[in-house]
Amino acid sequence: MKDYQLAWKNLWRNKRRTLITAASVFFAVFFALVMRSFQLGAYDRLFKNVIESYSGYLQLQHEDYFDDPNLDNTFKIDQTLIDQMKEDPNVNDVVPRLESFALAAAGSHTQGVIVLGIDPDREDKVMKISNKLVKYKLTSGTIGKLKNDSIPDKTKKLLDVFSNEAYYSEARLMMDLGISDEDSATILPIIRRHASISNGYLTENGTSEVVIGDGLSEYLKAGVGDTIVLMGQGYHGTTAAGKYMVKGIIKLPAPDIDNVIVYIPIESARELYAAPGMATSAVISLNSNDDNDILQTGNRLQKIISDPMIIKTWQQLNALMVNQMEADNKSGMIMIAVLYMVIAFGVFGTVLMMLAERKREFGMLVSIGMKKKRLAKVISLEMLFIGFLGVAAGVAGSLPLVFYGNIHPLKFTGEFARMYEDMGFEAVMPTMLPDTFYLWQVVVVLVILVIAIIFSTRKIFRMNVINAMRA
Amino acid sequence: MAVVEINNVFKTYHDTEVEVKAINGVTLSFEKGDFAVIVGPSGSGKTTLLNLVGGLDQPTGGEILIAGHRLSELRSSELIDFRMDHVGFVFQSYNLIPVLTAAENVGFIMNLQKWPKEKRMARTDELLSSVGLADRHKSRPSQLSGGQQQRVAVARALATHPEFILADEPTANLDSKSAESLLDIMEKLNHEEGMTFIFSTHDTRVMKRAHRVITLEDGKVVSDEIRTE
Ligand SMILES: Nc1ncnc2c1ncn2[C@@H]1O[C@H](COP(=O)(O)OP(=O)(O)OP(=O)(O)O)[C@@H](O)[C@H]1O
Ligand SMILES: [Mg+2]
Repeated sequence: MKDYQLAWKNLWRNKRRTLITAASVFFAVFFALVMRSFQLGAYDRLFKNVIESYSGYLQLQHEDYFDDPNLDNTFKIDQTLIDQMKEDPNVNDVVPRLESFALAAAGSHTQGVIVLGIDPDREDKVMKISNKLVKYKLTSGTIGKLKNDSIPDKTKKLLDVFSNEAYYSEARLMMDLGISDEDSATILPIIRRHASISNGYLTENGTSEVVIGDGLSEYLKAGVGDTIVLMGQGYHGTTAAGKYMVKGIIKLPAPDIDNVIVYIPIESARELYAAPGMATSAVISLNSNDDNDILQTGNRLQKIISDPMIIKTWQQLNALMVNQMEADNKSGMIMIAVLYMVIAFGVFGTVLMMLAERKREFGMLVSIGMKKKRLAKVISLEMLFIGFLGVAAGVAGSLPLVFYGNIHPLKFTGEFARMYEDMGFEAVMPTMLPDTFYLWQVVVVLVILVIAIIFSTRKIFRMNVINAMRA
Repeated sequence: MAVVEINNVFKTYHDTEVEVKAINGVTLSFEKGDFAVIVGPSGSGKTTLLNLVGGLDQPTGGEILIAGHRLSELRSSELIDFRMDHVGFVFQSYNLIPVLTAAENVGFIMNLQKWPKEKRMARTDELLSSVGLADRHKSRPSQLSGGQQQRVAVARALATHPEFILADEPTANLDSKSAESLLDIMEKLNHEEGMTFIFSTHDTRVMKRAHRVITLEDGKVVSDEIRTE
């Protein structure tokens, strides 16, 4: 008989206790993994939304621009430099931008905005802006018309919840309004008829056209075809002012940006701000967005460019958000730490009970010739078995949920979705696939086990055989 | 040469406020083939003496030799091996590992000593037969009676051919019939194989069967009679 066989048999002498202990480890691991997966998945999504619709993974900037986003901290974009950067195997394109602030006015409404001068075609390839053009909008007018048409009562009720909501995809619209796939054939044409809005994207020649965020369009009460006025300060303190027609409205998945964004062709922006040939930044679009590849590409590019230009990563570009996430992340970790603490006490209780209960047996075993070292090994194996049973079950149990949640993200519907979106989150929560956070749970359980093992090994080595058997 | 020699041994406990002289100057020796029983009132030092002889405890004075080895000269890790090789133990209770079968319990020490499997199994068969449990190889301790469990413990104690077997009140938890049959077996092993047995007991049934009765009182030997039937 091998030691591990004896340990395995010992495990089942008190089936209930072993199962309860393993189950508590299972519960902790399972819960922690699923929770982490949702939390990390939500962060991932949040960052992806901002990165892939606004900041990009890497940007080329003037070194002072980030701390002082002022038109004086711009640079002349140099085609040879761009070509040089594009030689990097992971760089797909380098798309210049001219970004500044302005006051936007439409009728009697005004709002501080970000004016983002872009190259319409190249920017669209990176940020897929034209895909986010709003197709349907549930204004009070359209809701009134829809309610008079033949649509289910449930959908009519939901129309009020989502009044003023804009959609660039029918899938989300259907979900919010509770339209099933079967009903869609009859209901969607009605919605299309009443709620569709015609919407266009920027062109190189449309120098007096802009595309604005849906949030901004609501503040300004400016729709497609309306005129807005942009006023601000240009290069070297000149006055910048211009009149533009709203060509399209887009809905960005990042509400903070959606509320203030004005897209404008870069040449119009240069004209507005009297900064010909200048750029405040250039988005570097990459072939691989893998964390490690981004970092390495950034390092390579940093060597090509010269002062005052620097490469900024998405973490630096979204520093505020990164900080917020880290704070939120800590609170999640504290919760898990508390959970593991409770589990650690449970495991310890079991170990103490087991040691007390088997004292005479240990005394007998050492009396008849079992070395304490060997006995400690058997007992340690027992604890490792329980721990691994729990961890294995926890990991196995979490996997289907985590994988399912990644393919079919949790989507909030109804009022809850509205609330969630108003807070600045997307009402879609995908899970994060297994990653290093899985490894961490195993490490934590292992640490608990190691402490329990050290404790019981010490107990065994300090055991006085005679006292143990007298007990 | 005596199997066990006890020379003017003392054991004093200081655990409590009062000092207890559990063994107070004992000199005894046991020869190969002894079937000896230690009797005496509760607290007279029987268990203490057996623990000292088995090397489970160290005397505070005097010397114990087993098969010519001075126990005091062994380090504690050597002592564990020494016990395993030279002494067989049968305790009053909690003798067996509850999760192992009778055969596995008997084979346990041989297993610790890394006997080859065939040899171990053959010896286990032999021993279980000699204690009348040839048909209970696969039974767990919980499936055996108290007497049967004690017989398995005897078989295990015998496995590696120890110098002698120590048994502290082996019949204390047994009914008369089980006690008698345990004694029958031990007597047979004593007769046929010359195995040395040293018991402690309160049990008159055991006393009647012993060939030598040593009486302790307050940690001292007050009588030591050899009986010849
Ligand atoms: N570990 C110990 N610590 C302190 N005192 C002890 C210890 N072991 C035994 N004693 C004391 O030593 C004396 C002898 O005890 P021992 O157990 O040897 O008696 P015994 O003859 O076996 O009694 P019983 O017939 O009740 O089993 C008793 O007074 C007991 O209280
Ligand atoms: Mg006793």
